[in-house]
Amino acid sequence: MTDALSKPDPITIEIISNALQSVTDESFVALMKSAYSTNIKERHDHSTAVVDRNGRLVMQASMSIPIHLASMLGLMRKLLDKFPLDQIHEGDVFCANDPHVGGGTHLPDVNLAMPVFVEGELVGFVCNIAHHADIGGMSPGSMAGGMTEIYQEGLRIPLIKLFRRGVLDQDLFDILLLNVRVVEERRGDYNAQFAALRLADRRLREIIDREGVGTVTAVFDEIITRTRHRMKLAIGEIPDGVYHFADVMDDDGAGTEDIPIRLKTTIDGDRAVFDFTGTSPQVPGNVNIPLNGTIAAVCYVLKAMLDPEVPNNHGVIDAIEVIAPPGTMVSCVAPASVASRAHTSQRIVDVVIGSLAEALPDKVVGAANGANSMAIFSGLHPETGRPYVYLETLGGGFGGRDDRDGKDGVQVHITNTSNLPVEAIEMEYPLLVEEYGLIEDSGGAGTWRGGMGLRRVVRPIGHDCLFTGIGERFRNRPWGVFGARPGAAGRFLMQDDDGTETRLGTKPGDLVLRADQQAVVETPGSGGYGRPEHRSAEKLSEDWESGKFTAAYMKQWYGWEPPA
Amino acid sequence: MSWYIGVDVGGTFTDFFAVDVENARFVVHKTPSTPGNPAEAILAGLDALSEREGIPGHAIGRLAHGTTVATNALIQRRGAPIALITTKGFRDLLEIGRQVRPKMYDLKADAQPPLVPRQHRFEVAERMDARGQPLTVLDDADIEAAIDQVEAAGAEACAVCLLFAFLNPAHEQRIGARLKERLPNIAISLSSAVQPEFREFERFSTTTLNAYLQPIVGRYMRHLGGELAKRAPRARLGINQSSGGLMSVERAAEFPVRTALSGPAAGAVGAAHVARTAGLPDVITLDMGGTSADVALIKGYEADVGYGREVAGFPVRLPVIDIHTIGAGGGSIAWFEKDGLLKVGPQSAGAVPGPACYGKGGTEPTVSDANLVLGRLSGSLIGGAMVLDLEASRTAIRPAAERLGLSVEKTAEGIIGIVTANMVRAIRTVSVERGHDPRRFALMPFGGAGALHAGDVARALDMKQIAVPPSPGILCAQGLVVSDLKEDFVGTQRLPFDAEHRDVLGAVIAPLVKDAQAWFEDEDVPKDRRRLRLAVDLRYVGQNFELTVPVAETHGEPPVLPAEEIVRGRFFEVHEQTYGHFTETDPIEAVNFRLTAFGVADSVPSPQVPEAEDSEPSEVGRRSVWFDGREHEARVFARDTLRPGHRFEGPAIVDQLDATTVIHPGDRVRVDDALNLIVEVAR
Repeated sequence: MTDALSKPDPITIEIISNALQSVTDESFVALMKSAYSTNIKERHDHSTAVVDRNGRLVMQASMSIPIHLASMLGLMRKLLDKFPLDQIHEGDVFCANDPHVGGGTHLPDVNLAMPVFVEGELVGFVCNIAHHADIGGMSPGSMAGGMTEIYQEGLRIPLIKLFRRGVLDQDLFDILLLNVRVVEERRGDYNAQFAALRLADRRLREIIDREGVGTVTAVFDEIITRTRHRMKLAIGEIPDGVYHFADVMDDDGAGTEDIPIRLKTTIDGDRAVFDFTGTSPQVPGNVNIPLNGTIAAVCYVLKAMLDPEVPNNHGVIDAIEVIAPPGTMVSCVAPASVASRAHTSQRIVDVVIGSLAEALPDKVVGAANGANSMAIFSGLHPETGRPYVYLETLGGGFGGRDDRDGKDGVQVHITNTSNLPVEAIEMEYPLLVEEYGLIEDSGGAGTWRGGMGLRRVVRPIGHDCLFTGIGERFRNRPWGVFGARPGAAGRFLMQDDDGTETRLGTKPGDLVLRADQQAVVETPGSGGYGRPEHRSAEKLSEDWESGKFTAAYMKQWYGWEPPA
Repeated sequence: MSWYIGVDVGGTFTDFFAVDVENARFVVHKTPSTPGNPAEAILAGLDALSEREGIPGHAIGRLAHGTTVATNALIQRRGAPIALITTKGFRDLLEIGRQVRPKMYDLKADAQPPLVPRQHRFEVAERMDARGQPLTVLDDADIEAAIDQVEAAGAEACAVCLLFAFLNPAHEQRIGARLKERLPNIAISLSSAVQPEFREFERFSTTTLNAYLQPIVGRYMRHLGGELAKRAPRARLGINQSSGGLMSVERAAEFPVRTALSGPAAGAVGAAHVARTAGLPDVITLDMGGTSADVALIKGYEADVGYGREVAGFPVRLPVIDIHTIGAGGGSIAWFEKDGLLKVGPQSAGAVPGPACYGKGGTEPTVSDANLVLGRLSGSLIGGAMVLDLEASRTAIRPAAERLGLSVEKTAEGIIGIVTANMVRAIRTVSVERGHDPRRFALMPFGGAGALHAGDVARALDMKQIAVPPSPGILCAQGLVVSDLKEDFVGTQRLPFDAEHRDVLGAVIAPLVKDAQAWFEDEDVPKDRRRLRLAVDLRYVGQNFELTVPVAETHGEPPVLPAEEIVRGRFFEVHEQTYGHFTETDPIEAVNFRLTAFGVADSVPSPQVPEAEDSEPSEVGRRSVWFDGREHEARVFARDTLRPGHRFEGPAIVDQLDATTVIHPGDRVRVDDALNLIVEVAR
């Protein structure tokens, strides 16, 4: 359609973009279908991408998750730093997972990249990331808390060449597999990733055959440049100013409490600088996050607040600047532990949104439940004697918005994984779900109220099991904006049938839960938007009639009483 | 009793396809739809058709109907006020759903609020365990209290959704029976009757939707049934289901949720029928109309059926033909995104104001305008009843052309290129992503606009053959005439699939067979028309998703589960096809047992058209048409003059009443015995 020398027209760019989107989407589905880990198959904790020869992200699968943007970036930077172009060959496959030396964000995410050559010339890379159900380390699943060094969290893979010119380095692969649990499944996950790379490589070369290498690489540039320009225009609309915000994480599960995240956001024309100086030094517990993860969280917010439809590529990253001193919790260095970095990522999102409240009052939302609440039940099935592990991440409140209430009981921001049906849980595990519902009074009062948290009550049937929980915002509640009230805090409880109730911490590990006890998991609600006194009569009667709020709460925060 | 009639209600037109099975006579009819009450157009059209063709009412043996009443009621939220009775501790379940957001990056996009407000969701203390044994037995007083609340809520329908009711429906049935006694005028939907499958949210959602639709669809069915009985007293009325088979009016009133995708499903059935007449077992369909395009995959003359999808934002767990819909139609509007890229759709000019060329006030450039500018669409539609305004199309496209610095024609080609790319992605979704290679399929375009774009789409996907049915605009109505009567039965029981459990597996199937046989009797299906198909949803132990594996088919006799290793082998095949691998040694388990009963339809004769005398048809004109950036002189043929045996080569245009077929330069066309155009795509 166009030769290599002239700029491709917007029609050609659109058509080729569409084809590139298919490359990433099809390899995404292929990976999902052929992998073994539940994280990949069911929760879609994986991503695929096309990257240009300079390591810039061109296209991500539409279902890719935001934090994987960080790992793609990190991987490509390490790759191009370590391997000069004359050492990158057709058929090579690069692999890494380490957040400190491999560009990753936590160890279970295994990142792969494969160069794509056309007639001997490097035109770009195809990449994918998959969250393996286990990567070794102290605890099955490689996600549990209580570890203070990355060495305890699992196998660290620096950037390595796993395939050389199409040939698998079996020695390296043997090391990777020896260090993980359920080796056959992990081998299957790797094979799924390799197959997805080969599929993407083939599809990308088909497009290049049809359109010409010059046109396709020119389209790579255009896609990124246009997205950067589009983001810059959107940033230009934000009122100039220096905006400060801070929030506090409850704890790291290893003794450090009330951990501050501080941010200074500077908007100057079309420049946006996010400076995290003043944030807590990295902590012993596993809530640290590498710089790339922080950049990905900032990108998520900018895209969500300014232009949700903007394509997710390097142009978004190019449009912003992030400052985070190395050694802080949001730019951690070796040997920081990082497995639960998703909680921190959620909190960075809240902080960035909070900093822009004054500048973008119609885009800001109340703080969401701010966590990636996790409940893990494990034990031996009393009938079969086989071990089981049931892991669930629970949603909570999503914050109030400028024209509508927050959403009740939902996954927020960087997480969007589905729950497991009660009937599926009980058919699979020796557990009984006693209750699953919204927590009354948990959505912060406001002109537009915050969304409500979730309660799930689970008991083991006929045996004792172990309960592990990972929570946040149990003390530092999700704040409201513009005078709205905060949402309710989350909590973990253990209840005995005789009525005794024990309140647990934010990150309880492997507590024994007896058959005459039940675990109560309550996730945080979220903050509202605007002063409660401006809430409409109609919305107030809806709160009351739906039974979501008690008369006492409505009297306290709205001065409202039910009709006689 | 010799006339069979199919009626498809679309957004703009209600289409009729009537066959006189004794004399192999076919007639078609179109009448404007009456969205307020679709039955009006059906009855008026039927009267007009009968009068025109001299069809006496008593000669109509069968009338099959694809309905959009349920779909529209859902989209417009016009269903009845309803209440829900559910297990204590779970009234929020319907609202929480799967706890996911519909769009990751959109801070304001929420899942649909449930159809039952929270204050009308009532709990009863009861609980079945995962084996279907009662943990907490339902108390009569609790039932009465819940029904008091349902009554006070003023509900016109009530959904009863209890945990594990698919294993033991006793509690749901007790509540249902008492509701019927105390509130005889409200409609009742039990989750154990609507879709007795595990995964509570999807089952509750499906059941709630059903309750929501029962009053409105019930009224419609009673009215239509009554009126048709007056006009065609001997006709059997069949309502098309989303799974592509007919059901009785009574069942449609009881299970209206099954008609939620009735219309598109009829298209897929019609396409499968045409595929058979053309001898092409594997086709991908492209049904393109004014606002959207539906694509579906047909393999071995059967449309792919899936077991879960969303309707108007609500999950529905029912057998449904796997149709992928995108916002690409003749009325789709071309526009510039913020980054300066040209996009087409999903916004559509619809029927009003319509594309600029309709001259009804539309000013934005649409796909139809681009086709007109390129000479692909002729200057008049519906046999001259509608004249298109070329200058209006050029005027609409010009601003975009100026912004791009391209000619109007180049821009029009760009619009077509982009809408093609959108359809290509949709087709890749139903084929490549499900493990099928589209290059091994023929493309079957239909709807008003499908055949305009089939050449571009086939090229982009490297498909080698296109089959254009004789009446692309009326394929849905045609599909209805050939539809079988169909009913699906399902039972959930999670069991290891091995020789040891063979007896238990048999015990799950037995009640399904009993239900199916009762259904054959109820529906008067003659013995020689009965078919039963047994499928099992299987998975590896530990997986959370299952694959439907067909295992046996009979002529109505109870199907027998084949030997374990045969079923395992089939599971491996399907696993390989879908996921690209399988492991022979891992244990597998059964989750759901699905029995589908068919009452096979009478076969419909093919039209008898004499062979063409010359191999080359005579052209009715020539016009200039753009392909690949330049004008070509294309011959124009009238579809109704084409005869079996005719052959010609592109560039060419085939015009007919409600569709236009574009033949690209070098493509070779032959007309087959059933009057399909079989196009060999040039390499």
